[in-house]
Amino acid sequence: MPDMRFAPPNPLRIADRSSGLNAVSVRSYNERLVLSLLLQSEATTRLEIGERTGLSAQTVSVIVRTLEQEGLVAKGEAQKGRVGPPTVPLALNPEGAFSVGISIGATHTDIVLIDFVGSVRHHATIDNPTPDKSSNHSAFLATIKQAVEKLPLRARERLAGVGLALPHSTTHGHDEPAYFKALQSEIESQLGISVFVQNDITAAAAGESMFGVAKPLTDYLFFYLGANLHGRLVLNHQIHNGNSTLSFDVGILGLEAELHRQGQSVEPLWNRSGVWPDFGDLLTVWEDRLIEQMKRSYSSVAQFVDIKTIVLSSYAPHSVCEDICRKFERSTPHVKAIAGIVTPSPKAVGAAGLPFSSRFMVE
Amino acid sequence: MRTVLCYGDSNTYGQIPGGTPLERYPFDRRWSGVLQRELGNAWHIIEEGLSGRTTVRDDPIEGALKNGRTYLRPCMMSHAPLDLIIIMLGTNDLKVRFNQPASEVAMGIGCLVHDIKELAAGPRGHVPEILIVAPPPMHDDIKEWEPIFKGAPSKSRELALQFEIIADSLEVHFFDAATVASCDPADGFHINGEAHQALGIALAREAEAIGWN
Repeated sequence: MPDMRFAPPNPLRIADRSSGLNAVSVRSYNERLVLSLLLQSEATTRLEIGERTGLSAQTVSVIVRTLEQEGLVAKGEAQKGRVGPPTVPLALNPEGAFSVGISIGATHTDIVLIDFVGSVRHHATIDNPTPDKSSNHSAFLATIKQAVEKLPLRARERLAGVGLALPHSTTHGHDEPAYFKALQSEIESQLGISVFVQNDITAAAAGESMFGVAKPLTDYLFFYLGANLHGRLVLNHQIHNGNSTLSFDVGILGLEAELHRQGQSVEPLWNRSGVWPDFGDLLTVWEDRLIEQMKRSYSSVAQFVDIKTIVLSSYAPHSVCEDICRKFERSTPHVKAIAGIVTPSPKAVGAAGLPFSSRFMVE
Repeated sequence: MRTVLCYGDSNTYGQIPGGTPLERYPFDRRWSGVLQRELGNAWHIIEEGLSGRTTVRDDPIEGALKNGRTYLRPCMMSHAPLDLIIIMLGTNDLKVRFNQPASEVAMGIGCLVHDIKELAAGPRGHVPEILIVAPPPMHDDIKEWEPIFKGAPSKSRELALQFEIIADSLEVHFFDAATVASCDPADGFHINGEAHQALGIALAREAEAIGWN
């Protein structure tokens, strides 16, 4: 009988001495498991990784070493505890990977470059691409190309990919997964960059879940306040997309219409500066209408699942979202309302998280 | 109390570069001693360095007693239970008399790992944590050792990668000593006091970073 102990070595991953990111296919399940933990927590230790994954200390050591060599993980300074050996924290290296997120909105397209911990390094707002009749999506191609060409060299070398967030209106109610897949492979074959496409509201929810206030949350109702109000149900970290395309015209478009009627400037609503002028009573009236709709959505969902948290994400000023959340909490006891912190464009940042989750995390 | 076995050759024994085999750094200046100082009293460091020790080979000249494989088992038994075994070997396997490439030396390291796993001399019959340390590469100028180590310097530069491949496939810890220390030019393959310091400190950090329960 052959003795397998002395067969040629078959490493989990051949120690990789090349720079840049490895191909998708060689990243093992256990490696993704470890990266998922790191992407979900600020910093952790090998012991914690072992406990939470069930992997042995030696297996964790092998995985962490390859991730360190690849530059995805940075080793922290040993922390002396009062009892027991010091712990050495591990965290993602912010410079380890970059990603571009593009969100096509009602009027504008947002482009962000984020680093591996979700910090926005660049942000630009450009006009929406104009559809070309002769092609499916040459407009996206030009936009993505433009975004990638603007990247600093280091980010281009360590680019995990491009995430594209599309609103339901742009996809014209196509069967989404199939449409996204076709779009994805066409862009990839033309530009040679990994591209991931997702619905924009789902992307915003993913953004808050990966980089924002929803990081520690498992179950909540997610609201996106854009031109309209949209909702997503998140259970056990899973964002349920469903087939619901329902949105409510109580969003920022509603406020715009009101401002219009009063003859006030609507420009500040869309410029993403994070500041709105004092709209006075008008804002209060609009907020109340919005909160009424949020309460209706919440109580319909609450009939089926026990949800005690809602998250409100928006490019509207944080103070406005905070205000809405406090009012919501006052009107709906025992429910916690949290204003999102992903700025300047939750959809674009969420889209940028997509290449990270697809390439580095477990499903 | 955690017990660590440091299993190595003359560079664990602490032979002074360029000196005779009898000249040795004192314990507190050898890497095992530095490791003890760094880790503190909650750790018990056992030093097992033998000049000329190979991974798995009987030395036809120096004698079968230099074979690291045959001595490892009784050594583990005498010191069990062991929490961590650090192995830094491989240089002596590169002697001309063995005529082995770096990959075969790594296979020898693999044998030792299998033996450690089989004996399971860790706490409560578990397998101890195993840390493979690749020795720093030799210099090209190895002085009067040239005939004994002919061709070894270039092979020694491949040890780290070959050891890491073995460590990865057998899922054990690995450290490349060349990242913190180098050999002394006095003889080209022994490490000096400064290197012992750096190595002891680095290995203490590695030992601490293991996810101990």
